[in-house]
This record gives sequence, C-alpha cells and structure tokens, in this order.
Amino acid sequence: MKLHSVIATSVSVAALLTSIAPSYAAGLDDLVAAATKEGQLTVIALPHDWCGYGAVIDAFKKKYPGITVNELNPDAGSGDEIQAIIANKGNTGPQAPDVIDVGLSFGPTAKDQKLIQPYKVSTWDSIPDSAKDADGYWYGDYYGVMSFLVNDDIVKSAPKTWADLQKSDYSNAFALAGDPRVANQAIEAVYAAGLASGGKAGADAGTAGLGFFKKLNAAGNFVPVIGKAAPVAQGTTPIVAAWDYNALAWRDGFQGNPKAEVIVPSDAVVAGVYIQAISAYAPHPNAAKLWEEYLYSDEGQIGWLAGYCHPIRFNDLAKNNKVPQDLLAKLPDPALYAKAVFPTLDEQKASSDVITKQWDSVVGANVQ
Amino acid sequence: MTRAKFWSWVIFILGALYFLGPLLATVQFSLSIRRTGYSLDAYTNVLQSPAFQQTFTYSLLVGVAAIIVGLLIVVPAAYFVRLRAPQLRPIIEFVTLLPLIIPPIILVFGYIRLYNSSSILPLTNSDWGTNILLTLAYVALALPYMYRAVDTGLRTIDVQTLTEAANILGASTPTILIRVIFPNIIVAALSGAFLTLAIVIGEFTIASLLNRQAFGVYMQNVGANRAFEPAALAVISFVITWAAMGAIQLLARFAPKTQRI
Amino acid sequence: MSSDADTVVKTIVAPASAGVAPASGSPLARLAGLRWGDYLGVAPFLVFAVLFLIVPTAWLVIGAFQARDGSFTLQNLIDLGTPQIISSFWISIRVSVASAVMGAIAGLILALAVIRGRLPEGIRSAVLTFSGVASQFAGIPLAFAFIATLGRLGLVTVGLRLVGFDIYRAGFNLLSFWGLTLTYCYFQIPLMVLIIAPAIDGLKREWSEAAATLGATPIQFWRYVGLPVLWPNLLGTLSLLFANAFGAIATAYALTGSSLNIVPILLYAQIRGDVLNNPGLGAALALGMIVIAALANIVYLVIRTRAERWLK
Repeated sequence: MKLHSVIATSVSVAALLTSIAPSYAAGLDDLVAAATKEGQLTVIALPHDWCGYGAVIDAFKKKYPGITVNELNPDAGSGDEIQAIIANKGNTGPQAPDVIDVGLSFGPTAKDQKLIQPYKVSTWDSIPDSAKDADGYWYGDYYGVMSFLVNDDIVKSAPKTWADLQKSDYSNAFALAGDPRVANQAIEAVYAAGLASGGKAGADAGTAGLGFFKKLNAAGNFVPVIGKAAPVAQGTTPIVAAWDYNALAWRDGFQGNPKAEVIVPSDAVVAGVYIQAISAYAPHPNAAKLWEEYLYSDEGQIGWLAGYCHPIRFNDLAKNNKVPQDLLAKLPDPALYAKAVFPTLDEQKASSDVITKQWDSVVGANVQ
Repeated sequence: MTRAKFWSWVIFILGALYFLGPLLATVQFSLSIRRTGYSLDAYTNVLQSPAFQQTFTYSLLVGVAAIIVGLLIVVPAAYFVRLRAPQLRPIIEFVTLLPLIIPPIILVFGYIRLYNSSSILPLTNSDWGTNILLTLAYVALALPYMYRAVDTGLRTIDVQTLTEAANILGASTPTILIRVIFPNIIVAALSGAFLTLAIVIGEFTIASLLNRQAFGVYMQNVGANRAFEPAALAVISFVITWAAMGAIQLLARFAPKTQRI
Repeated sequence: MSSDADTVVKTIVAPASAGVAPASGSPLARLAGLRWGDYLGVAPFLVFAVLFLIVPTAWLVIGAFQARDGSFTLQNLIDLGTPQIISSFWISIRVSVASAVMGAIAGLILALAVIRGRLPEGIRSAVLTFSGVASQFAGIPLAFAFIATLGRLGLVTVGLRLVGFDIYRAGFNLLSFWGLTLTYCYFQIPLMVLIIAPAIDGLKREWSEAAATLGATPIQFWRYVGLPVLWPNLLGTLSLLFANAFGAIATAYALTGSSLNIVPILLYAQIRGDVLNNPGLGAALALGMIVIAALANIVYLVIRTRAERWLK
C-alpha cells in the first residue's frame, strides 16, 4: 500500500522534476552517474518499520538499480551512529556509514567533531530554517509528535490527556517506550508530561515532567517495563507513550488483534525532529548525496509520510497540493499537529540534562 | 525406586517446570495472533522470507568455524598452562572474562579500527576477510565459556600422568593432544561447542555492524517492531538451535572417547 | 579434616607427582625453566587474546582518560564518584552475586540429579543440549517470556489466581530485584550445568563405592569427597557466572529498563544513547567494571589456590 502510493506520486514527481529546472536536472544526472559508479550506499540505524524506511529503501533501490544498499544495525541509537563514523574513519569497506539519521541534538556536536560534511539538497529552501544548519551540515528530515498507543481490549476508556493518566483507572497500565536516561523517545515523553503539567519550555518542563512521573509511580500507574508492540499486545503495558509514527506502525502491525488506537494527548503536543547528515568519511559520497536528494524530493518525503512520519517539507508539499488525500486520512487530526511545540536545541539540552540526571533520584522508580 | 532416584526425579521435574514454563508462555503468545483462536500465522509470516534459510545456514557455518578455531586455540593453551605454566593461569583466566564485561559494540568498533582498509591487515575490504573477522569475533565472545569448559575437563582428568605415560610410549606433543588429551575431554569440549553455537546463532550487534547477513540480523529485521512475530522467532530459534546441538552430540558419538556422552 | 573418608580421598585422588614441574624458586627462575615448546602451545591463545581482546580493551581504557577533544583528563574517573553511579555499581554487584550464587547452587543440584541420579539415559543428553540453548536465551525474548509467565497478566499468575492464589497480592513482583534475579537464573543455571558436567563425570563411581564400604553415608561422601573435589571447579564457574551477570544488560533493560540502575545501562547511555553521549564517561564506567571483575577474580583465585593445595 505504501509502495503503491509512492510509485503513484513518483510519476507526478518525475514530471515535476523534468519541468522545473533543466540546468538542475543535468546536475542530478551527473550525480546519478557518479553514484552508480560508486555502486554502494551504506546506511545505519534504519529499521524497516520506522517511518516506512523499508519501503523508502526499496523504492530507492528500484529507482537506481546500480546501487547496492548496505543496511547496518537497524537497532542502533543516535550515539551508535556517531561512534560508527568515528570507528570507521580509515575504512572504505561496507561497514562505514555514508549517511546518518540522528536526533536533533546530535547535529551541532557532530559538526563540531568534524564528523559530517555539508551538502545542500536541491529542495534546500523549502526546509524550515529552524530545522537546518545554515552551512548545510545537517538538516531536519521528519518529525512526529508524542502520542499514546492504547490497547483497547484491556483499557476500557482510553486516556485523552497526560493529566488523565494519573487516574486510578490506569493502575499498572502506563509505560515509556524507552529508558528516560538513554532514549530520546522516553525523554521527550517526560518533557511532554512536564509541559502538560504547566512547566515552561526548557529545564522547567523537565523538572515538572519528573514531578509528574513521581506522582504516577507513587499512584502505581507506572510500569517500568520498556513498552514496545509485544508488551502492549500481551497486556503488561497497555498504554505506551511513543512517537506517533511508531505508535501508528505498531497499531497497524496488530492487524486488529488487539484492538488499539493512537491518541495525541491534547494538553501537550511535543514534536521531535530527526536530522540527516553525510559522514565526512563517507566512502561513497556521491551515493550519499543522491540518497539525500531522493529523500528530500517529493517522492522521498511522501514515502516517509506513508510511514506516518511528517516530512520536514510537509507544509511546502501541502501548499502545493502534493499530499495524497488517502495518506492524510490515515494520519491523526491535523488540528493537533497545528498545536505542536518544537523544542529548540537549547530547550532540549536543558530539559534532557534535568531528566536524565535526576530521573533515578526524583521519580524513585528504582527497582528494589 | 530408591531415595536417590526419587529426589532426582523431583529435581528434574522442578527444573523442567522452571525452564519450560516461560517457553510455553512464549509459544502460547505466539499462537495468539488471531482474535479467533490459535493459529500459526506468526510462524508462517516469519518463515516465508527466503532470507531465513540463507541467514541460518550462514550463521551455522560461522558457528562451526568458530567452534573449531576456538578449540584449536583453547585446548593447547589450557593444557600447557595446566601442565607447565600454572603461573600464567591468573592472567589467562582474567583475559577470558573480558568478553563478558566489554560490551560487544565496543569490541566490534575496536575490530573495525584495527582491521579496516587502511590498516596492515585490511580484513574489512573483502567478503572473505570480513567473514574471518566475524568468526574470530565470535571466538572471542565464546572464549570465557570455551576456556572454562575445557579447563574443567582438563582438571578432571589426570593430565600429568597421561602425558608422562604417553611420553614414555614415545608420543610427540601434538599426538598427545590429539589422541590422548582431546578424547578424554570430549564432554567438556562439547559443552564449549554448544555454548559457542548458541552465541553465534543469536548474535546480532557484531554481525550487523560488520554488514554480514547473519541469522540474528534477520531476526531483528523481521521481528523487532511487531507484536507476535518476535515470540514466534524466539521459539523457532530455540528449537533449531537445540536441534543443531543434538546433531553435534550425535556426531560426537563417533569420536574416539573414553567417557559416555 | 581427619577421617577415614579423608584418607580414602587422599589415596585415591592424589595423582602421582609428575617429573615435569617447573623449577621452584623465584618467579623469574620459574619462567626461565619453561621450554620453548610450552610457550608455543600457549602462543596462539596469547596472540589471539592480544589482537582480539586486549587491544580493543586498551582503547577503551585509554578512552576513559580522554576528554571529548581528545586531551588527557581524570575528570571521567572523578565523575564516577556520583551517587547515581556508585549505587549503580552496588546494585550490579548485588544482582550478579545473587544470580551467580543461586544459579550455581541450583545448577549443581540439577546437574547432579541428571548425571548421577540414575535417570533414564536420554534425559542427560536432552538436558545438556537444552542447557546450551538456554544459556544464551537472554535479552528481550527472555524478559518477554518471563513477563508472559509471571507478569501481572502472565500465564502462571492468571492460572494461580484461578485457583485462588494471587502471587502479586502476596507481595511478589516480577519487576523487582528478586524478579530480575529469578530471570537471570534462566541462563545462569544452564551455564552452571554445562560447565560442571565434565567435573561431575569425573567423580568416579569407585570413590562412592569405597566410601560406602568404609561406612560413609551419602552426606558424608559429599562433604568429605565429592564437594572438596568439585570445589575448585565450582569456584571457577561461580566466577564465570558473576562476570556473566555483571556484564548482562539486555535482559535487565528489557525487563525493568526505566527503573533499574545498573552499570551496563549507564554505560549504554553514555556510549550509545540518544542524548547523553559522553563516551569518555562510558569508557570510565567500563574501566570500573573491569576493575571489579578483576577484584572478583582475585578473590576467586585466592580461595581456589587454598582449596587446591591438598589436591596437587
């Protein structure tokens, strides 16, 4: 289904590309030739179920059959990707990642450590300024908002807000999708809870979030298991806070068993941006650039949308009516996305600091 | 039934309950993919992929290679340390504990640094080189278990007397190792072999970062974000690894030995 | 320990002293007394160890002393002194010791039952091969299996509730220290069984027969013959089980990820995580783990050397 829509849009995209800028199209052809000569592209940390990357990679392979795609460690975290670049500095083999897809905060640090190289894709101007590095070292690729995945077979009435979670109906029901000392997804969930509790953006929301979880844990509503598709289906963690694209993908994976729904809590909508970058030591720089061109083309962006991720050029695409209606229908209510708050780099850093360092002592969910 | 036999049965049954219980729960969950009752859908979803056979065979071959290399490295070392150089024992034992402490991801990054295209031994450039690197990485991961198993086996037999006797009969050291020592530690070697194979079949991080299509990588790709498929995969992986070990044990019956297997 | 059984052991078990013991005296003289051939046998192992274990570890250790920009610093080690990290080391040690001891005892009992308990022949093979698989059954699949069995909605929990016994109301909680230890035992016990099996095989039937002839009860046999002979092996395996649990992260992470503060999880956070990412601190944590493992190993060696004194 996703591939179908991707191919459907690629026809219009092809028409679009050939009509827009003849000089630019010539540049793309050169890039394709150079990339095909390199013959390989090495990516890392791209699970097939994350933002529909499986379909995106397949579409890329189909479009450029001369390029083999090496997929490293789909389980990797952002830190792993950076470490992979560092470890592979002298390596031209297929273990060296060409491109990375990491959390927003990793962009500036990777740039400082000289691990990434600048490249401005052809659609550069339609990427919002707040989501890219002015020199072109890193650029936002997609975002999602924090949502709840609820197992309706077990939870009789689903929570609609963060505040709802504190109710006694949800005893032993709620879990985070990661470790709040480690994983971005969990940290942003705590941050969202903090904003919902009235904290101000930045460190204040971090502290408020910790207070929220302390209360939640004391009430017995918090389950320390890391929530993924399996524990939700099994019933140990019937409510999980996760990025909407993950929650939606998991819901789809259930195929009705159990019945589940994805709810964006209305009292705080927090968006998380991920960024793309090309490794400074990429053994296949042209293939990497072609990959970026593909991802930021309308085709690639719609591919992510098919995986429930909001591509960074979403507003631009919507303005030009490029977004297929059936895809839009599958996503949660756009009104909620309109209220989405995008934490700035500083706010993220300050709140993450507070949350990761004080989770153990404040929340006291420490296993005894 | 004698008292000893009675208690043995009690212990065995308790053990069986503890170990089979969680497995049964996993099986029950894996069969529950449909609302309408038990079905094998999760299993067919998983087994349909052609990559299943390929990756499992690959991992099996790498596993066998790792077992052989591991035995070749560990048995002589443990033998000589026991026989002649007991002062090396503390160092060697400590070294063998390192793979348990150092996270595999650090190991693999270390190997990539050491053996990448710009080093003296560019293993990562070729398929064969990377396969060798992966095998040796698994030997390293399995080292604690292999060494401890072989050491236990050697400790149990009287290494010095056996060596003396063989020497008197004119055997050279390699002959002693192959024809006298090894047959006496088959059980221990098998333990080490089982542990190595189990490690290799399930391992994911190192294979993935070295860009090898191993079974662990396949399992992660198929099941990571689904609900029921990971349970099915865990069961399948358990069963076929168990079968592979059973096969190894059967083959071992043909090896020259002095103890029953 | 002077008893008839003791004499039996000494005469039966003590091997003939070999004529190939290295020269006594200073360590250097002892080393010099070794022949080329001896080193040749250990050489492959040492070469392999250096290339595949020591060098990556050395890099890690060096990393512990590096700041982000690569300069030398002791800050990472100083940072180890925070209460969060100290308590994480302490919990790690407690979980590792608990699961190692429980695993060792249960594993020994199971191995004895299966190997010496006169059970049908096939059971021994089945248990040994099963142990091979179960010893590596860890991480998310294991955590999930235990959740599906003993979690609040687990099979056993629900089953017991149906017959009127609610383990959670009785105070049990899988997501606790003891729940985690129980889960760890799933791979600790099989490891013990596999490694101690050859040693139990080595307890010759003649010994128990001789002891019985001399009037020893089974308990006396075990106390004076069986356990002392097994003791060095038991200690060695205990040390392995401790290190095994100490370095284990995936199971704990999957089971109680947001609530258990153990060192590997912190290490993970610094080196692999999405946010913290201070590789120097991660390396320092790993260095701390290596030091603790070394200390545990030294304790084990001291105890074992004492125990082996009379054996050789």
